[in-house]
Amino acid sequence: MKRAITWALFGLCCQAFLARAAPDFARDVRPILERSCYGCHGPEKQKSGYRLDVREIALKGGGSGERAVIPHDAKNSRLARAIRGVEEDLAMPPPDSDAPKLSVAEIDTILRWIEAGPQWPDEFAGKAESGRTHWSLRRLKKPRVPGTDRSAHPIDAFIRAGLAARGMSPAARADRRTLVRRLRYNLTGLPPTPEEAAAFIADGSSTAYEDLVNRLLDSPGYGEHWARHWLDVAHYADTHGNDHDFARPNAWPYRDWLVDAFNTDKPYVRFVREQVAGDVLFADDPRAVSALGFLAAGPWDETLMAGIFEDTVDHRMAQNLDRDDMVATVMSSFQSLTVHCARCHDHKFDPVSQREYYQLQAVFAGIDRVDRVFDDDAAMHVRRQGLRSRLKAIERKDARLLETLNESGMRKIADRLRSGQAKRQEHWKPLELVSVASATGANTRFARQADGTWLATGDVPQKDTFIITARTMVRDIRALRLETLPDPSLPGQGPGRYDPSGNFHLTEFRAEAHASTGATTGAAPLKFSRASATHGDAGGGVATAIDGQANTHWSVHPHYGKAHEAVFELAEPLDHEGGATIVVRLEHNGHERHQIGRFRLSFCTGEMPAELRAPLPFATAELLRRADARKADLQEMALYQLAREAESSLAKLPTPRRVYAVSNDFEPDRAFKPALKPRPIHILIRGEIDKHGERVGPGALSCLPELPGALAIPEGEDEGDRRAALALWLTDRRNVLTWRSAVNRVWHYHFGRGLCDTPNDFGIMGGSPSHPELLDWLAVWFRDEAGGSLKSLHRLILTSETYRQSTAHNPAAAAVDPLNRLLWRMNRVRLTGEQMRDSLLQLSGRLDPSMGGPSVVLFNHKGDATFMPGGGQPAYVDYAGFDPDAPANRRRSLYRFQFRTLPDPLMKALDVPDGDLAVSVRGQSTTAVQAFALLNNPFVIRMCDHIAARLRKESEAEPETAALVSDAFGLILLREPSDSEAGSFAGYCGKHGLANTVHLLLNSNEFMHIE
Amino acid sequence: MNAMSPPLHDRRDFLGGLSTGLSGMALMSLLGRESASGALVPTQRPRVKRIIQLFMNGGASQCDLFDHKPRLGELHGKQFDPGEGRRVEASASVPGAVLKSPFEWARHGQCGRWVSSALPHLSKRVDEIAFLMAMTSKSNVHGPAAYLQTSGFFLPGFPCAGAWVSYALGSLSDNVPAFVALPDARGLPYNGLSAFTSGFLPANHEGTVINANAPQPITHLRPPKNVARVTAASRAEGLALLQQMNEAHARERAGDSALTARIESYKLAARLQLAAPELLDLSRESRTTRQRYGLDKAETENFGKRCLLARRMIERGVRFVQVWSGYGGARNNWDNHASIVKELPPIALGMDQPAAALLDDLKQRGLLDDTLLVWTTEFGRMPFSQGSQGRDHNGGTFVSWFCGSGIRGGAAFGESDEWSWKAARDATTNHDFHATILHLLGIDHEKLTVRHGGIDRRLTDVHGRVVKEILS
Repeated sequence: MKRAITWALFGLCCQAFLARAAPDFARDVRPILERSCYGCHGPEKQKSGYRLDVREIALKGGGSGERAVIPHDAKNSRLARAIRGVEEDLAMPPPDSDAPKLSVAEIDTILRWIEAGPQWPDEFAGKAESGRTHWSLRRLKKPRVPGTDRSAHPIDAFIRAGLAARGMSPAARADRRTLVRRLRYNLTGLPPTPEEAAAFIADGSSTAYEDLVNRLLDSPGYGEHWARHWLDVAHYADTHGNDHDFARPNAWPYRDWLVDAFNTDKPYVRFVREQVAGDVLFADDPRAVSALGFLAAGPWDETLMAGIFEDTVDHRMAQNLDRDDMVATVMSSFQSLTVHCARCHDHKFDPVSQREYYQLQAVFAGIDRVDRVFDDDAAMHVRRQGLRSRLKAIERKDARLLETLNESGMRKIADRLRSGQAKRQEHWKPLELVSVASATGANTRFARQADGTWLATGDVPQKDTFIITARTMVRDIRALRLETLPDPSLPGQGPGRYDPSGNFHLTEFRAEAHASTGATTGAAPLKFSRASATHGDAGGGVATAIDGQANTHWSVHPHYGKAHEAVFELAEPLDHEGGATIVVRLEHNGHERHQIGRFRLSFCTGEMPAELRAPLPFATAELLRRADARKADLQEMALYQLAREAESSLAKLPTPRRVYAVSNDFEPDRAFKPALKPRPIHILIRGEIDKHGERVGPGALSCLPELPGALAIPEGEDEGDRRAALALWLTDRRNVLTWRSAVNRVWHYHFGRGLCDTPNDFGIMGGSPSHPELLDWLAVWFRDEAGGSLKSLHRLILTSETYRQSTAHNPAAAAVDPLNRLLWRMNRVRLTGEQMRDSLLQLSGRLDPSMGGPSVVLFNHKGDATFMPGGGQPAYVDYAGFDPDAPANRRRSLYRFQFRTLPDPLMKALDVPDGDLAVSVRGQSTTAVQAFALLNNPFVIRMCDHIAARLRKESEAEPETAALVSDAFGLILLREPSDSEAGSFAGYCGKHGLANTVHLLLNSNEFMHIE
Repeated sequence: MNAMSPPLHDRRDFLGGLSTGLSGMALMSLLGRESASGALVPTQRPRVKRIIQLFMNGGASQCDLFDHKPRLGELHGKQFDPGEGRRVEASASVPGAVLKSPFEWARHGQCGRWVSSALPHLSKRVDEIAFLMAMTSKSNVHGPAAYLQTSGFFLPGFPCAGAWVSYALGSLSDNVPAFVALPDARGLPYNGLSAFTSGFLPANHEGTVINANAPQPITHLRPPKNVARVTAASRAEGLALLQQMNEAHARERAGDSALTARIESYKLAARLQLAAPELLDLSRESRTTRQRYGLDKAETENFGKRCLLARRMIERGVRFVQVWSGYGGARNNWDNHASIVKELPPIALGMDQPAAALLDDLKQRGLLDDTLLVWTTEFGRMPFSQGSQGRDHNGGTFVSWFCGSGIRGGAAFGESDEWSWKAARDATTNHDFHATILHLLGIDHEKLTVRHGGIDRRLTDVHGRVVKEILS
């Protein structure tokens, strides 16, 4: 008791003493600020732009513009006024906040501190790391390699200098068994064979290690393993994701491009450029098109982008987020920046404005994710691309194209058009109709006319669908034609029945067909690839009659009283040996009583020239009839004819290959339509889809030293120019982020942790580099001396002693640096899902080394290649029942078909990303689910049987159990069992068999980790 | 970087890669017991310890279940026109005529809440329930709307609520996972397994999926049936030998918690495997209980079985159980495009009795004192028709409800307009919904954050308000 009183008195004495002395910043002031203010005005948040952890801003003040601290004048200092809380609006912490209020004594402390002329020592000055002072945005200069030993490996020099500064030293070099396994997994994703390991261990050559590195870098497995890393970053999968998660069957050519890019050591500049704008910058290289798979690799919402109405908030939001994903993917992969944080407001931490973010969206405003054609043969590729761009130039009436057309040339082209049209009608044959009926009109009648047309009479219902049944014996039907014709009996002469205009609204033209003979298994809907018409009103033309959307329609406004024609080209020829029954539905669900009055249906077969299939537009037909065509008219006719001829030439080319990439040249699919020119991009206020701010054009970031953010883009509306300009900006040697990002990412995959441990985020919220000078040294070396060669960079890193260290624990070092940021040892990492699975295949001797090609499906499924069983059922994907011995199951994991929303449970358990988000650092989770997978997965179990069978086959005729156990250890762990292991495992093996023994070894920590 | 962040940074380091440092914590992580690390101790007094969430997949029709609008009867058959030139947007159909609810409506309980005849059992328990009568969704499409309601984000890849809760609080026992998802026996909901994803959180927070009707209800729980070489003895002796080998290996590699965590993971797996049969064995329930949940009738058995399982799970320490009604196909769910009168009653009847039985059972066993029962869906449906009898999606207004400790029974918050087309008053969002759930668990939704891609991510994004109006 007495003692307590003494202490209390002592405390009082201290306080009394302090009351006279000026408060000490670190001891008295800072803890108060930290506790009560930092929550809103500290490192994480800076409400009103004010923060109390940085001296400069704390004293100067924030957004109010008022000085926060006036030395010796607490009364007028805003900070003091705020904490005193007398002024209601200014009271801090705010009455409704959770932050602890200041006690009277604490307020007094701060007031006295200000009155005393506030002392704020330099060591607590803090740094408002904003903008260009941040490490990743500083100029890139090659630092001097530390130390005096010129022969030392530069990486070791930097790392050892870092260790020495903390009185630490590196671990010893790992043994050769460890090194060969580490290198093999690290470069190829596969374990060494026992023979390979033995050969390396026995190799007496002074260059044995370097030889091994080179050999592995030259092996095809290198590209396969490193492509997988990049697929994580690109968030690749073989399905679209989201609710329906449809298959994306042409994603894989991008994966093959990656494997090839790594194996051929494509210089980094080219690696980046091809993935952003390979089609533009390397137009002659067909494979550069498949590199664009990078931009399209992420998820795509089929429902939002195609399935719903174009004018819905959902659709517009999805378009915005689709571009957002492209911007985020490019900028996190190549720049390690989180620019996507600036979608709703300026980046809170990094110097990226909302405007700059939308400028980057504008770079991608002309493209969509879609299958894109390319040819393996370069000449064919150039020819096809030439025709396609010619077609686009014609559509756009490109000035450069028009210059090439003189009057006599145009006259000749117009003549070709005229003579073709004269013969066109011969190709259309009337379709014999069995019946025509109205779905809703009780008294609507249809009468066949002498010319084969049908005339509607009687009721005109509000909405109606004409159901037309036809039979034909003709085969190879390529297109259906609907003529709508005037008639004196119709209002305004028709061709529609709407009184008084004579208009109609055809919302949808649908057809289905089945074989007229034999077993009919139900009619299949016919898919149309294209619709064209003589005329369509401004509402979108006849294409809207095959867009599946009930709120769009084909109308002939204002060309009433005239004959019109629409042609619907079939995606696949209709070809039934015994003839076909076709049911056509003309849906009129637009404005009331807008139905067709008189019509005729006909078809054309294979023989018709493709350029004649489409009906001549009304306007062009008028021109053609004119005797005295002016130059402008001639031009119209010539362009029309040239476009049809280009289409015809394209149709004659061999079937091209396809890659899921980006393009603005594709057939519309419902609401999913190509942008003929880049879509307008506005800053969205608070990121809200309907709150348009200023419209912005394409641009990049202005926060880099020396490199301006403006993009050099030629005049015009070519979206490709935008991507090309960004690709050049990204690969500019002055782009400091590109080079830092690349070397750090490679470092991450070698050490299990980057020099900066957030490889996709070099911003203020990201990690700080453990060795900033080494990072810069590597970046400059990679750019200038290695010429962007990744293989050279690997060689440099792998030949360092730092990489060759053992993982040996060192308690003293761990006490100082528990996360091993200073690299006092090598990091131990767990096998990835792919490494584990591929190892099993290799150990069993069943690995199929063939490379590339369509992704292999490792699950049972229903339905066709889309894996949709139909009938509105969701995808059926069965991994558990899939035959582990199927040939597809022998391919490397890189080649497996990756289902975004239904991932392989074995891979999932081992942290293989599902492709929804970009992954720059894979999880290395340890879960019970993982233990279950490695114990019970059917594939793992079967591989154990195969490995056991292989061990038996390769051993002597009647092997002893002990010998088998020893062989199993040799194959799986590359070592002999210890004496105690030999005994216990032989006992187990004798009782439960070799396959179970193998299974245990594969579950061991030793096998599952790389030392 | 600054004074505040190192704990977070270390924590992320630790969670991201277990290969280094930090002894002991690996085991905590493995068990989902991160609260013990100090970072995520509940910030306020928890009202509940666990949650059962009933999720109506497809968009349950608020105006045919809970949101009674006599006006629809008056306007039935007329073209829907909200007036003032307001645009009527449906995502995939042309707005049709006003469609009155084909069900009978009556007031129920002391609170006098309107409930339709589609829910004869739940309508008798409205005094236990608090309703959010005007929830809104940013999306009118299943995929994104379901993501919003499960993970708080429009896009895929974000951790769902169950994963966040698992991350924050872990499981209540060593023998069960923290987060279990019980999808409809007919298949997975929209977005497939992504509906239960841990996103960028560590993988152990992923929902453990239990397919109640499958021969193998939990993936990889047991080896395939035809593998003769794996026996109880080979497994038990094998695991012992494996542990011995791994322990010897770890002894030579001191200071690596990843190695010890892996050893523990096998022990945990063994315990889970042992616990699973008892957990899933509904024959241990009395005949009366089984009947009450509707296990004796084909129409209620599917959902009833899983409601009963949900109760068994929370009794055994599961923190968050999600029970799905309906799957991602075109039928047999709440997505009643073609006909409300034909499609809604079967799915509603299948849910109604089991959900009511679950509520009663939780109450009788005293579990409701620290359990939250939540009923929700991704959006509502339109007051006008699609085709002639169906209804299209409506993110404008829908209903969710809460029941259990901390909840003011009989309360209702929010009101839709006269047609049940859009929220009119006190609208709530998925963010408010999640903020309220976290609040009841004792977690401040603004404080449960994980840094990813440069942003401190939350279940509630940058929004969310605890709906105190329904709390007791």
